[in-house]
Amino acid sequence: MSDNQEVSTTGHQWDDDEGYPLQEYNNPLPKWWLYTFYATIVWSVIYWILYPAWPVGGDFTKGVLGWSMHKELREELDEANAKKKNVNEQLARMSLQEIAKKNDLLQYSISGGKAIFGDNCAPCHGQGGIGSKAGGFPNLTDDDWLYGGSLETIQETITQGRTGQMPAHLKATGGAFDEAQVNDLTQYVLSFSGRSQDAAANKRGDALFHGDAGCNNCHGDQGNGSLKGTAGGQALPPVGAPNLTDAIWLHGADLVSIRESIAKGRSGVMPAWGKGSKEVGRELDPLAIKQVTLYVHSLGGGR
Amino acid sequence: MHQTSIQKPVYDYDIVKYFTIGSVIYAIVGFLVGVILALELTFPGLNGDIPYITFGRLRPLHTSAVIFAFGGSVLFATSYYVVQRTCRVRLFSDFLSRFTFWGWNLVVVLVVITYPLGLSQGKEYAEPIWPIDLLITVVWVAYFINYVGTLARRQEPHIYVANWFYLAFIITVALLHIVNNLAIPVNLTDSYPIFSGVQDAMIQWWYGHNAVGFFLTAAFLGLMYYFVPKQAERPVYSYRLSIVHFWALAFMYIWAGPHHLHYTALPDWAGTLGATFSIMLLLPSWGGMINGIMTLSGAWHKLRTDPILRFFIASLSFYGMSTFEGPMMSLKSVNALSHYTDWTIGHVHSGALGWVAMVSFGAIYHMVPRLWGVAIHSTTLINLHFWLATIGVVIYIVAMWISGIMQGLMWRAYDSFGNLSYSFAETVAAMHPYYLIRAIGGVVFLAGALVMAYNVYMTIRGANRG
Repeated sequence: MSDNQEVSTTGHQWDDDEGYPLQEYNNPLPKWWLYTFYATIVWSVIYWILYPAWPVGGDFTKGVLGWSMHKELREELDEANAKKKNVNEQLARMSLQEIAKKNDLLQYSISGGKAIFGDNCAPCHGQGGIGSKAGGFPNLTDDDWLYGGSLETIQETITQGRTGQMPAHLKATGGAFDEAQVNDLTQYVLSFSGRSQDAAANKRGDALFHGDAGCNNCHGDQGNGSLKGTAGGQALPPVGAPNLTDAIWLHGADLVSIRESIAKGRSGVMPAWGKGSKEVGRELDPLAIKQVTLYVHSLGGGR
Repeated sequence: MHQTSIQKPVYDYDIVKYFTIGSVIYAIVGFLVGVILALELTFPGLNGDIPYITFGRLRPLHTSAVIFAFGGSVLFATSYYVVQRTCRVRLFSDFLSRFTFWGWNLVVVLVVITYPLGLSQGKEYAEPIWPIDLLITVVWVAYFINYVGTLARRQEPHIYVANWFYLAFIITVALLHIVNNLAIPVNLTDSYPIFSGVQDAMIQWWYGHNAVGFFLTAAFLGLMYYFVPKQAERPVYSYRLSIVHFWALAFMYIWAGPHHLHYTALPDWAGTLGATFSIMLLLPSWGGMINGIMTLSGAWHKLRTDPILRFFIASLSFYGMSTFEGPMMSLKSVNALSHYTDWTIGHVHSGALGWVAMVSFGAIYHMVPRLWGVAIHSTTLINLHFWLATIGVVIYIVAMWISGIMQGLMWRAYDSFGNLSYSFAETVAAMHPYYLIRAIGGVVFLAGALVMAYNVYMTIRGANRG
């Protein structure tokens, strides 16, 4: 087929304006082309015999393999579910503590929990649970917890959700204090991490913190948060008030962010995922929550 | 020869010039929007929260700009050029020619206004709202009458093969457009399609796949059948192959649409037919490539000096590659991996950039000197454009192949416990570098189009001064 010169043209000519007309050689169909074309037709006919293919009347030819996409899906799902059935039933009966002691079940749960976390929790808490300062979503990979990092508390947080409410303090945004007082409180909060620049303001802030503003009622007399702190020797209610003395800041560590938290307040909502929850429009079953709990626990609290 | 006694007719080259200039402008617009979209995917914040330039609204603007504004203008220009020269007669009606030009450009303007406003039918490649659909129909009927009228008044005994392909394109696109847009209007901007559910999806992909088949394949094969032998100054390799592959292509293509709907509510049997007809389509598609490439047989040395021929040979190579890739992707087992991934995007662009755009560039460079009666401003710049275009396409499709196959494999990866290994967001993060590489490929390709625009502009300016 390579030697065009031996073949004549059809004798038709068009468009001779540039001195070279369009013409057509009389070459035959390339044999490899023709036979490969036939082969694709034969292949298709075999495919039609094997698989559902032609609509006939109100029905269609089913194919001798008996294959259908729905059957394939059902079989694959059944197979996958059968593999998990025993272990899932075991997990459903066991407590979190019991699961945590059996390494194979723990690894299985962490693997499942990671998949569920990736599709449901990661949009706020980030891939791998690293959190987000911009959104005020806690980092789950450290050992700093607002409500507690034990298996049971994490499970409770996921099932019931949490609402953290830091009230506004500046008059202009609905609080009870003026600009100067908010600045004083900011200086005092900075002093927990040794960053106060103004001794006088710090002193006035101290008085407000433990006095009129009543910050110590949630954050504790020492400012170390509702989880660890105390006020007047009494344990604090589990309101999720952050520890102000460590280097971990939910909404930013700098003066401007801290002042903003005090002035305008902050509100953090962890939606509930337990049965009947409407907060995110979907719910996780208890087994899924168990797995996510064990996964989250493995990120930070479990270490 | 028998034609020599016939007086040379006065062709309507003005209308070809209008559409040629339009195609150069729309190429730049379409590619530019593509680059913006590639960057928005890489850096989502780039849309600045401005609704009019979000990905969802700009994406159909990109596809319509490249397919219908750029590709459409190329096809109007070349079909009007080819039909006149191969029929040896002026176009049937100067009025209809101008009506198709202004009508088609009005469609483009309306599309550019409505899509960013969010006015869309939500059907891929058929997004225009119903009043625009009616305008398209009227323009298309005018095109059909003008084309068939010219063929009917031809001064040549035979109809050249390029015209069969153009005519198949005009007739089939009319049929596809009308059936897929059958809808009941409820007000000036909204309508409900008369088909519902999976039938609507099937009609949409019957349309969508054959828009590729007849707009981007058959019509551009018509273009190829004129410009490749003309530029190579060689006879077409095989008349018989051109007939057989034309009819086989036209018959097979129309069945292949269901392969866009594997593993959906579409019944299994329809998917089987779509896949098998896609496989049977492979050789009919390749018939065009063989005829094009074999036409150059014996004239390979011209590739050394003629960058326009290089455009043609590269476009035919990309055409052969993507028409092989397409049938493979239509198989259910391959489709299960490739569908919804960037692999599809890579496949589309190896066809759209590698085949459609490259063969169009070759035709534009062939026509411009003949239309304006001067030599091209710079052959060196054509060569530069060729390399920018080729490198741009290769960067683009390689990035999308890697990204797409990786994406498909990550979606289906399970760990030893039977749980998904990756969340959706992790697959997106993994694709990020390839999105950037794809955008770079797009910028290179766009740079080539800008070189072409400059070259064409300088050529026309030279003609007007001369």
